[in-house]
Amino acid sequence: MNEILVKNACVIDPIRGINGDIMDIAIRDGRIVESVSDRAEIIDAHRCLTLPGGIDSHTHVCGTKVNFGRYMSPEDMRAGRTRRHGRMHVTSGYYVPTTFGNSYRYSAMGYTTLLEGAMAPLEARHTHEEFTATPHQDMLANTLFDGNWAVMDAVREKNIPKTAAIVGWTLNAVKGYAIKLTNPGGTEAWGWGEDLTSIHEKVPHFEVTPSEIITTMIRANELLRLPHSVHLHCNNLGKPGNYQTTLDTFDLVPDLNPDRQTLYATHVQFHAYGGGTWRNICSKAEDITRSINSKPQIVMDMGQIMFCRTMTMTADGPMEFNLHCLHHNKWSNHDVELETGSGIIPVTYSKKSAVNCIMWAIGLELALLTKNPWQCLLETDNPNGAPFVKYPEVIGLLMSKRYRDEECATLHADTERRTSLFALEREMDWHDIAVMTRAGQAKALGIVNQGKGHLGAGAEADIAIYPIRTDSVDPAREYRKVVEGFQKTRFTIKRGRVVSRDGEIIVDGANATFWTNALIPEDIRVDNDPEFIRRFQEFYTVRMSNYPVQDLYLPRGRRVDTEAFS
Amino acid sequence: MRVILESKVRKKPNIPIEAEAIIPRNFLKGTDLLVYEGNKERTLSELFWIFVEGTAVSPENIEVVLKGDTSRIKRVGEYMDTGSILISGDIGMHCGNFMSGGTIEILGNADAWLGREMRGGTILCRGNAGHYCATGYRGEKKGMQGGRVEVFGSAGDFCAEYLAGGEVHVHGSVGDFPGVEMRGGQLIIDGDATRPCANMKDGTCVILGRVHEMIPTFEKVERRVIPEWNITADVYRGDIANRGKGTLMVKTAGSE
Repeated sequence: MNEILVKNACVIDPIRGINGDIMDIAIRDGRIVESVSDRAEIIDAHRCLTLPGGIDSHTHVCGTKVNFGRYMSPEDMRAGRTRRHGRMHVTSGYYVPTTFGNSYRYSAMGYTTLLEGAMAPLEARHTHEEFTATPHQDMLANTLFDGNWAVMDAVREKNIPKTAAIVGWTLNAVKGYAIKLTNPGGTEAWGWGEDLTSIHEKVPHFEVTPSEIITTMIRANELLRLPHSVHLHCNNLGKPGNYQTTLDTFDLVPDLNPDRQTLYATHVQFHAYGGGTWRNICSKAEDITRSINSKPQIVMDMGQIMFCRTMTMTADGPMEFNLHCLHHNKWSNHDVELETGSGIIPVTYSKKSAVNCIMWAIGLELALLTKNPWQCLLETDNPNGAPFVKYPEVIGLLMSKRYRDEECATLHADTERRTSLFALEREMDWHDIAVMTRAGQAKALGIVNQGKGHLGAGAEADIAIYPIRTDSVDPAREYRKVVEGFQKTRFTIKRGRVVSRDGEIIVDGANATFWTNALIPEDIRVDNDPEFIRRFQEFYTVRMSNYPVQDLYLPRGRRVDTEAFS
Repeated sequence: MRVILESKVRKKPNIPIEAEAIIPRNFLKGTDLLVYEGNKERTLSELFWIFVEGTAVSPENIEVVLKGDTSRIKRVGEYMDTGSILISGDIGMHCGNFMSGGTIEILGNADAWLGREMRGGTILCRGNAGHYCATGYRGEKKGMQGGRVEVFGSAGDFCAEYLAGGEVHVHGSVGDFPGVEMRGGQLIIDGDATRPCANMKDGTCVILGRVHEMIPTFEKVERRVIPEWNITADVYRGDIANRGKGTLMVKTAGSE
């Protein structure tokens, strides 16, 4: 029996409605309990800020795409080198670090659960292998369905149960957690040499539109009763004037689930541009947030960019090609058979560029203009907007008008005219930050029941203790202390074990991978559907029996069963 | 001041020595420097006989002389900014990485990556240079950005890859792909070259010898006399496959 008692913790636990109470937290065998015996190991938090372990609900840290980013960027491996030390492996890299580098740095920041933003089903094995090598965080995989041939055929037939059956079978086969749509239809159209510019244009050869894919998938998702909603990367990412597409997409979303959102819109900063060209691009964050504020069924994340060198990687192949035409730098493009595609290019976000400054401002505007922090989560779409190690700086910017003003003074002169950021006075408090970095994510991902994102009895003992005294630090003025505090926890506790102390990893990790298993009635299961099997055998390069990921790839898999169709 | 480092005989002479500490500035405060032999940390005096002649008050007056078997010593002159280094024999890989000033003279041959990502100063190699002479690091957008590298013998493959500034002059021939991905600067090859300047963006390359397997995406602009070199040359522009604006001049056969 392993017992820990965290004493004198200043706890903010938004899911249970606790805001800054000084209390003790008892842990036994990896779970939070009411009390422990007097033999328990004692950790004195010294009234420091104590939060549930951080959750990143959209990051790219594992899988073929990330690994190809590493492969393309040997120069990145010159940065962030650390030696082997105690339990820690060698690490290197800054924006596409080694898996252990990712894991240690997230752990040092108090993060204990990550959702890999995009896993191509056919390439799931690699993703799961890298999950195992990211040992200090529990992992979940968003599974790509944006250009899935079988799904598009079912959507064209307007057959929601069949769509759901295909999704359920695939999630089970590749051990995925949720549905991810990246530029739905657009990547597939591009595979045929076309580009979709609106959500009402038809994908060639499939005769379905992105809007049909989105609405059908939303209903299929609810039919399967998946814990997370559809996770959408909207069409037209990164194009000036794309905010109209984003607003049109939001208008498609019904409110179908009382427990959580019906749509998770990711990295919305990249989807909130006005104007028509790169010369007259401007912020439409006000329009986007007006829509979000009136639609509780949608949760978004910021997709904040920060000024640095980084790598963009996404399943949105055509977008990456357009970026490549802009930068003329190295570029990778990939087509995943019947499923999706991807593209990767390196970028440098610079304060000299008006476009980059406007992008930076839009991310912050989205967060500051969204009234309910549960609806706008803190993310940089790591590493697309910035590597996740920049989160503390984003927190600092949200909490301090003074910090924002100092940064704004160094930006391109056009920024003030083309965004509304300079006029925003709002400063977020500790509770808002706790919502935007863990509680909101846990609720949006539907893992509160799995014991994530809160510190109530029975929850998983994932706890982050930051060296910040909320009673003596004024975040509006002392934002440097806030940024430093969030960069390195005093303790990060993962499933009842102290994994990181003052930024140093002290144990070997033992993470879990969550995946969903929708129990689908026998008569509509696709593995009983001869037509589905025939098309699979005809078009895929792998046999259907070799497609599912073996249990071997998930040494600590955690199955989440859902009563589909009930 | 002159610091003479004469390498001691080693039991295992093939184990490389990583000696980025050997730059003139470091000898201003004495000779207690640390280097690595394989994965073992060593003091300089464990590997070299050290002789110091005279004194110096500023690093630009320091000359470091390397003698003996120096062919497995890597990273000599890394981040060197002033003073001079004279190597009487061969030198190992990565000599003069990131160099920004001063002079390195190698009387023997240099191994690969000579003057990688150099920013200034001069490197003279009296013998041959290995692959990736005067280039950048893998994946990086800019290679050598300034200074001068002169090789009196031949150079290996990928000479002056990603060259962005400065001058590279090879008196002998070069291997495959010289000046590939050039962004600026000047590359002069007195001897022969194979497939020069692929995907060149900018800069000038002059080849006085014979070109094997000319890249087809270069556009011939003119044939003219180049007074600087006292030759008639075919002048090409490219690499047009990627909208490059570089200049490649190849001496016309038979012209003097």
